[in-house]
Amino acid sequence: MGESLSRRDLIRILGASGVAASLGGVSAASGAEEQSTASGEEFLGTVIQPQAVQPTGTCAGLVGGKVIQPRRELPVLGQTDVLVVGGGTAGVAAAIAARRAGAQVTLVERYGHLGGQWTGGLVLVVVGHIVRSGKQVCQGIGEEMLRRLDKLDGAIIDRKPGVNPTVDAEALKYVMVEMVQEAGIKTLLHCWGVDAILDGGTVRGAVFESKSGRQAILAKIVVDATGDGDVFAAAGAAHRRCKYNIGLVSRIGNVSQVDRARAAGAREPRGLGARTPVVGVRWVNMLGPEADGLDVSELSRLEINHRRFIWRSVEKIRNTPGYEAVRLLETAPQLGVRITRMLHGVATLTVRDFRAGARFADVVAVGGAAGINHGEWQIPYGALVPDTRVENVLAAGRCISAELRMADMIRVIPICWVTGHAAGAAAAVAVADACPVREVNVAKVQQLLKQQGAYLG
Amino acid sequence: MHPDGKASFPDEAVPGGNRWRRRLARCAVLAAAVMLLLPGWPCDWALLAVPSLSPFVAVPAAIAVRGVTCATLLALPVLCLAILWPRCFCRWLCPTGLLVELAGRCRGRGAGRGARLPNVGAWLVALTLGGACLGYPLLVWLDPLAIFAAAANTAGGQVARGAWLAGAGLPLVLLVGLLWPGLWCARICPLGATQDLIALPVRAVARGRQDKAKPSANWPMPRRTVLGMGLGGLAAAGLRRVAGAARPGRLRPPGAAAEDALSGLCVRCGNCARVCPSRIIHPDSGRQGAESFLAPAIRYDDAYCLETCVRCTRVCPSGALRPLAAEEKPSAAIGLPRVDMSLCLLGEDRECAICRTHCPYGAIRIVFSEADYLCVPRVDPRRCNGCGACQVMCPTRPAKAIVVYPP
Repeated sequence: MGESLSRRDLIRILGASGVAASLGGVSAASGAEEQSTASGEEFLGTVIQPQAVQPTGTCAGLVGGKVIQPRRELPVLGQTDVLVVGGGTAGVAAAIAARRAGAQVTLVERYGHLGGQWTGGLVLVVVGHIVRSGKQVCQGIGEEMLRRLDKLDGAIIDRKPGVNPTVDAEALKYVMVEMVQEAGIKTLLHCWGVDAILDGGTVRGAVFESKSGRQAILAKIVVDATGDGDVFAAAGAAHRRCKYNIGLVSRIGNVSQVDRARAAGAREPRGLGARTPVVGVRWVNMLGPEADGLDVSELSRLEINHRRFIWRSVEKIRNTPGYEAVRLLETAPQLGVRITRMLHGVATLTVRDFRAGARFADVVAVGGAAGINHGEWQIPYGALVPDTRVENVLAAGRCISAELRMADMIRVIPICWVTGHAAGAAAAVAVADACPVREVNVAKVQQLLKQQGAYLG
Repeated sequence: MHPDGKASFPDEAVPGGNRWRRRLARCAVLAAAVMLLLPGWPCDWALLAVPSLSPFVAVPAAIAVRGVTCATLLALPVLCLAILWPRCFCRWLCPTGLLVELAGRCRGRGAGRGARLPNVGAWLVALTLGGACLGYPLLVWLDPLAIFAAAANTAGGQVARGAWLAGAGLPLVLLVGLLWPGLWCARICPLGATQDLIALPVRAVARGRQDKAKPSANWPMPRRTVLGMGLGGLAAAGLRRVAGAARPGRLRPPGAAAEDALSGLCVRCGNCARVCPSRIIHPDSGRQGAESFLAPAIRYDDAYCLETCVRCTRVCPSGALRPLAAEEKPSAAIGLPRVDMSLCLLGEDRECAICRTHCPYGAIRIVFSEADYLCVPRVDPRRCNGCGACQVMCPTRPAKAIVVYPP
């Protein structure tokens, strides 16, 4: 009986969709053949026109042995004041800052979660926000995230003055989504920013690849929080490229079940990592070799090698007497790419300034240091603005303008959140004043940042 | 003031009117010497002036390093003065002499006992000259001007652990002056003896003119000087062997002479420690060899040797530190760091490259070992000059994972 009923149902559904489609002015001629395989009463999915997803006839072609991508018009997904490309630490902070300042914001992220390296990369420890005296100098939106984690049960540990706290990745993903939703930010996940949209020397938006194909979003200001500087590089802003250590973080569980009595005497195995908010779970860092984080074959090779090493490392731990219960819980969804591109900005952060604690009139962020012997250091607005005449794009996060030797200072989580916060605030001011980011009134940005809880020295 | 003082005071042979004039001059010189060694001079040359005036430092040092420095040239006028008017420097200029004399006068009556001593100073000079011929001027650190400078430097600048010892020479000399007035200046002071020795040929020639019968008998080099030089040479050879023997050794300032020569060349004036902006030069404790006691040693506690600074090398009066040009600094190696992977945070897969970040010469790379799947800091000895920035910044406590060792 199922057979005939099912067919009848199917025809009914097809008919309904055909009416809907014709009302919408779209031809409904196709589709019956493809959908005929669907069967069963439980099938209630709505049939979608394939063209609505991906325009046909625009794929690459082989022309004279070369692969040619035909010229085509891209669908425009929307228009916004501030477009933040990259939903990592810097991107989320930038989006929230700009939205709270009144700008329309769209945030796009290549993975299915927010937080980037902080969550997907399992960089769980927050390092670089405190100085010698124990004072926390990275405040603002990032600190707000930590305070929200404080309120959740088991979401953060070591939240004491002068100590580097460790967060739980899942709790942080939740907190970030909540904050983004509360602020009213249009968020697109699974969207990989691949190109800038240029109009003369001015960036007018960005192009994305996703399951929906290649689409564009137009914007007044683009914040490049990709970490790799994908947008400013595509727009032609000067930058340096470098190789840096690429690792893969993992988490191991059941460490609380280690039999201390049996383990006594034996040397503690390597790779037990540091504790996390989850009891018995530890996160294990990896530095990895220096490699080009923009070379997909390198990334693939490293991902494979790193996974192999992690598995064997955990096997070694499990073979140590007393440690048999230890299990590998997960390897980080994102490879630990540290530095790839660094902007050539109007200003460049140098180790000399960092050591001297140089102060800038256009300071928009302040960084701390990981337990070592120095005080706070300032980040000028110029370090976010491209030196070359590429307008209306701001860098945020680990790709801002700095000497390579400063990379270890700028790539840490708190510096990403303060530079993101600064870029978002500056973008909002630029939108409100209808001026290019290069000519933004920095005093206004500083005032806005302070209103939003940032510390500027 | 005390006309009953002994004739060993250089003061006494002079008629009363001249004595006041001379006393005034000596006080002025003392004041000038103190002024030169006070902090606050815009250039370091002021510090160099006092210990460099001594021919007892300049001549043996020039022989030992087989070269002449700017500091050596400063002693030339004093040398000429000594030939023309023997002991003129002692009478008119020596600041240490004035202080010793004042100390002696504190005793008042009955002073001068125990002053019956052979001419120790002449032996000191002979030994030092003999040592200098072998590159190790044994006793230049007994120079009264160096002793004066060391005391002033200790009082005026460096107050590091053990630094007071470096300034203890002057109090000791004053104590000698207090106990046996006149003994130091007349019998022990090697600078005084140097002047006598320089004046010898002049006197011999003068005497030879008077007594033409026996010119050769008055040849100026007394036998004990030759003997002393021989002994000095032997001692120097022995000490150089001891000092240069394979031991861990200490870090020395940039441009320092080889370890087996440094302890002999250094006059322990403390100028280098005084001018060091990082305050990393300390007097050697002598624990790793008594011969290098109070010689300059570097300790990287909380500051490193600045990449553009060559100040210590510019204030050394004796060539123990070769004067460097700023461009030479990167190649003037102080030492070479070694990494202890059992302490290094990278050994625990922790996120750290602070040594690389802070290396002013870009000499540190973090190298990945495929076999151990581990990153290790590696130092390029061709770029590194051992400035200690890595050691200072290394976050491990209390022992540092990266430590600079002598080359």
